[in-house]
Amino acid sequence: MSLLDKFDVVEQLMSGLESVGKNPTSVVFDTINSATEAVVEGRTTILAGTNNYLGLTFDQDCISAGVTALRTQGTGTTGSRMANGSYASHIKLETELADFFQCENAMVFSTGYAANLGVLTAVLGKGDAVLLDADAHASLYDGCRMSGADIFRFKHNDTHSLERRLQRLKERASRCLIIVEGMYSVLGDRAPLAEIVELKNRFGASLLVDEAHSLGVFGERGCGVAELDGVLDEVDFIVGTFSKSLGAMGGFCASRHDVLGLFRYVSRPFMFTASPSPAVMATTREALAQLRNRPGLRDALWSNANQLYSGLQKLGFELGPEISPVVAVRCKDRESALFNWDKLLEAGVYVNMMLPPATPGGASFLRCSISAAHTQEQINTIIEKFAGL
Amino acid sequence: MNNSTHAVGDKLAEILTDYLKDNWVDSPSSKLTITATTNMVTELQLDSFQVMEFMLEVEDHYDIAIDLESLSNIQSITDLAGIVIAAHQD
Repeated sequence: MSLLDKFDVVEQLMSGLESVGKNPTSVVFDTINSATEAVVEGRTTILAGTNNYLGLTFDQDCISAGVTALRTQGTGTTGSRMANGSYASHIKLETELADFFQCENAMVFSTGYAANLGVLTAVLGKGDAVLLDADAHASLYDGCRMSGADIFRFKHNDTHSLERRLQRLKERASRCLIIVEGMYSVLGDRAPLAEIVELKNRFGASLLVDEAHSLGVFGERGCGVAELDGVLDEVDFIVGTFSKSLGAMGGFCASRHDVLGLFRYVSRPFMFTASPSPAVMATTREALAQLRNRPGLRDALWSNANQLYSGLQKLGFELGPEISPVVAVRCKDRESALFNWDKLLEAGVYVNMMLPPATPGGASFLRCSISAAHTQEQINTIIEKFAGL
Repeated sequence: MNNSTHAVGDKLAEILTDYLKDNWVDSPSSKLTITATTNMVTELQLDSFQVMEFMLEVEDHYDIAIDLESLSNIQSITDLAGIVIAAHQD
């Protein structure tokens, strides 16, 4: 067996996808018309799978901020902050994030993936224990693995399963990091954070919450599920991304622990990556300001989410457990998911296709993510195209 | 295989049979007879997700904690029995 033979399996998988129709991993958007519309193969297509929750990617103030930063600070930072220094906008965004989450410290990373790797490899080391929700994102698994800590999973959103595992860790529980997501990306279901915080406090553990999909979506101020559940000040580390509600690219960690300021000296995914570009910092800062100052965006998002969820529910589709801006439609098997995904795209609706093993329970889903920028007409069209499957 | 490994292997085969019937009833592997010597990867063709989910059932049955890294080299139920016994002794 040669070095590259392992790719035979990948090739077979991709051929399998293409035999049903288009390969969902190779869709090309020829033109992006707006936050909710693109042109695919000459067809105007509604975008219902972009995680663009607040629809800010085409916001004129965000674009202006980015253009100004490009003109005045150049296209890139050409290196890491440890080697090349920080730009003022990196520091300003960190200050604004700390203020937003009402904690003392925040740190910016180049991507959401790097944020999880960077934080977990800094917090954890050999001999530490992690209790990880079974449905956690791959970046959280990867960060835990890179850290060398002992990883134990608990059943998804099951606090009894978490409690039993904390008990089994005995004295190690106090050196344990519990890792959950605010809202889970495939089904749009939320972690029971108040109960998890109670367990964390009872066992003396620490808690990291990934609010990648919940930032800007939940809470009166849009901080996420921890704010919604009234436990924002109990979470040790909040991580998230700029690439969803904030419409840019990058990641962050916010924490009430001053030690976060020292992460930059030990976190390799932070130290050995080029820092985010000035334009990305500028659009992110403007988008964060809009998230804070325009609660109407969240109202529009939830109105659209309700409309889509109830519309698809009335059609008899099996959906995720709760109404959220992620509306996942369960398919009977992998083949029907592929077939229907293709049919929706042909009908001018782009959604995500989620196949095992990256899905809860090994099921296949057509996943819609809703935006505040969708119009009621667009939501009605999405429902109508689902009805045609 | 000593007696305790054999006994744990038999019990694990039973837990895996139930797990597959409860969660993967449409899968061909749920129709197979599973014994302590069954290879989960080559014979049952379980993917990494299925093995990890099965492990949650095993942990709860034996009230033990199994580190994810220990699963990386598991192929057979006998391999897993060794890990369960070691975890019990921790």
